[in-house]
Amino acid sequence: MFVAVVWVVGVLLATSSLHGTGARDVGVRGNGPEGPSVAELAAGRCAPTITNPGGTNNYVPKAPFADPLGAGFTVTGTVRDEACRPVPGVRIQVWAQTATASEQRNRTSVRTDAQGRYRVDSDPLVAQFGEPNVHVGYDDPGPWRRVFLRNVTRDGDTGAQVDLVLSP
Amino acid sequence: MARVGFLTAGVLGLAGLVVALTSPHLAGAPVVLVVSTLTAVAAVAGLAAQPWLVRGRVRVHTGVGLAVLGLVVVHVAALLVLSPDDALFAMSPDGPTRARMALISLVLLVVVVLLGLARRRLGWAGPTFRLLHGGFALLATVLGIGHAVLTDGALEGWGTVVLLASGVLSVAGGAAAVLRRRPARAARASGTGRATVPPPPAPR
Repeated sequence: MFVAVVWVVGVLLATSSLHGTGARDVGVRGNGPEGPSVAELAAGRCAPTITNPGGTNNYVPKAPFADPLGAGFTVTGTVRDEACRPVPGVRIQVWAQTATASEQRNRTSVRTDAQGRYRVDSDPLVAQFGEPNVHVGYDDPGPWRRVFLRNVTRDGDTGAQVDLVLSP
Repeated sequence: MARVGFLTAGVLGLAGLVVALTSPHLAGAPVVLVVSTLTAVAAVAGLAAQPWLVRGRVRVHTGVGLAVLGLVVVHVAALLVLSPDDALFAMSPDGPTRARMALISLVLLVVVVLLGLARRRLGWAGPTFRLLHGGFALLATVLGIGHAVLTDGALEGWGTVVLLASGVLSVAGGAAAVLRRRPARAARASGTGRATVPPPPAPR
């Protein structure tokens, strides 16, 4: 019985995800940006971004635009459609925990520029529930489906890249 | 030896509290996060002490076991108050590995406490009870400490040293408890040890 329990525990741990299902290390020292691959971009067919578990944690609709979150950490990304074309003028919300503000309060919205790019500057991220994590969401009312992501970074990272592919 | 073991656990617990309270992670943190962290530190110290309290201190062992379970429940409840979204996500099947370790550890801890409280009713043989109660307790301790080591927060740096030392102390306590029983068992088997069956009454 004891051996069976140890075996079950081993299986449960081996099948778990280090950062949580669907979450990637997107910090500058991590596994590279979240978003479409180079091959997808070259082929002009980008798989739509899917909301991952935890993506909506602490989400609050209608975060104010360009609310300054500090400096020292930059979240950047490009928003595209399924044909990998940039999507300008859509609202992106970013929220994360810093040393001075909790994830529930530290949030802002920005709009993508003509090339579909967005950028948010924040104080450096700190661990929240075990590791630094950054939320990026598209929540504009419009033709695109809403999408929310929770990804992680490492202590001391200075930035993260989160690209989104929107689908109708 | 046992006294050294549980006193060491107490010293490690105090060291953990000092490390946590002086950590920048808790500077200006909400009270519930401080409570959650400190209860976890105290629970780890209790777990490290437990194997050293099995012989001759069963009442203390039972009390510490119940206290550890209570501390862990407060730890989880404080996290639920701090951020329900994150706490429920962490405890879901989609939560990260460290959270799954904590969840399994909590389930095992409940089982261990229930086994301990129901020992007499169960009527299991000593070795069977000790294997399941002690084995699950050790597993719960290792998973709980693994969870703490993988968690970025107030117990990084020296905190990790304290956690790992607590884990080693717990494993050493379990090993010591097993080894203490072996010579006695071997002596009984060879007939040189203390008799387990009373001698027959002398003829009148």
